[in-house]
Amino acid sequence: MKIISEMTRLELAAFISSAFQKSNIDIVLSGGSCVSIYSEEKYVSGDLDFVNVMFTKRDRIITVMDSLGFEEKNRYFRHPDTNFLVEFPPGPLGVGEEPVKQIDEIKTETGILRIISPTDCVKDRLAWYYYDDDTECLHQAILVSKCQPVDLVEIERWSRVEDKTDLFKEFLKEFKKRF
Amino acid sequence: MLEPILGSKNAERVLLYLLARQQGYTREIARFWGADPDSVHKQLSRLERGGVLDSRSAGRTRIYRFNPRYSFIKELKALLSKALSFYPQNEQDRLLVFRRRPRRKDKPL
Repeated sequence: MKIISEMTRLELAAFISSAFQKSNIDIVLSGGSCVSIYSEEKYVSGDLDFVNVMFTKRDRIITVMDSLGFEEKNRYFRHPDTNFLVEFPPGPLGVGEEPVKQIDEIKTETGILRIISPTDCVKDRLAWYYYDDDTECLHQAILVSKCQPVDLVEIERWSRVEDKTDLFKEFLKEFKKRF
Repeated sequence: MLEPILGSKNAERVLLYLLARQQGYTREIARFWGADPDSVHKQLSRLERGGVLDSRSAGRTRIYRFNPRYSFIKELKALLSKALSFYPQNEQDRLLVFRRRPRRKDKPL
């Protein structure tokens, strides 16, 4: 097994994810690190955000992270051998109005990572664009859509539910421009 | 109204304030309700940690609002709106009728 200082983002995330699976704690990687993983690091996030799906008590999370050598500071976890900050935002695991139903798994030599799908990753980024006018996230959504197979029909349906069809069209226009 | 569900009077006050005014900061919310700022701050922090609210800095002030990406936001706002309709009319007016337009600095009242 690799030591933490030699792990890539994906390997570290899988290492942490597996430790939580062994403790029967449901966490799923979401946020910017999914963009990094799905875009093969064309976008670099410094955080690993694992959604605490079933609102597991903080003490149990601290116990697992402590066993991996991470220390909590201001609700983030740090390890002396890596620059990644690890956080556990609370559930529910959703994108906008809807729950995330499909969780993907990526196997690595350090463990199995439970992660939202590329399609949900795009929705997650678009939610920031839709509700906060965050154009950086719009570009992240385009980046993932370019690097991974995503279900654009499903993303359009979801955008309709969110009442953001106009902004979905903007996304599609930008996506086609760059594809 | 919702204290039995929310478990805290100040949580209800914070949420109703943000429902009516869209945004707010600790001292402003505490002053409006005549509540202890520390208790209001505690509820704001708790609701932010839970993903219900988010916040941004404006100078030295932290301004809170509903997190538009929170999965239950529509349902929560509907519940709060109903709770607000049970408040006395003068309390509703006090929350809902307020000045948002700008006032030039140093303008005499």
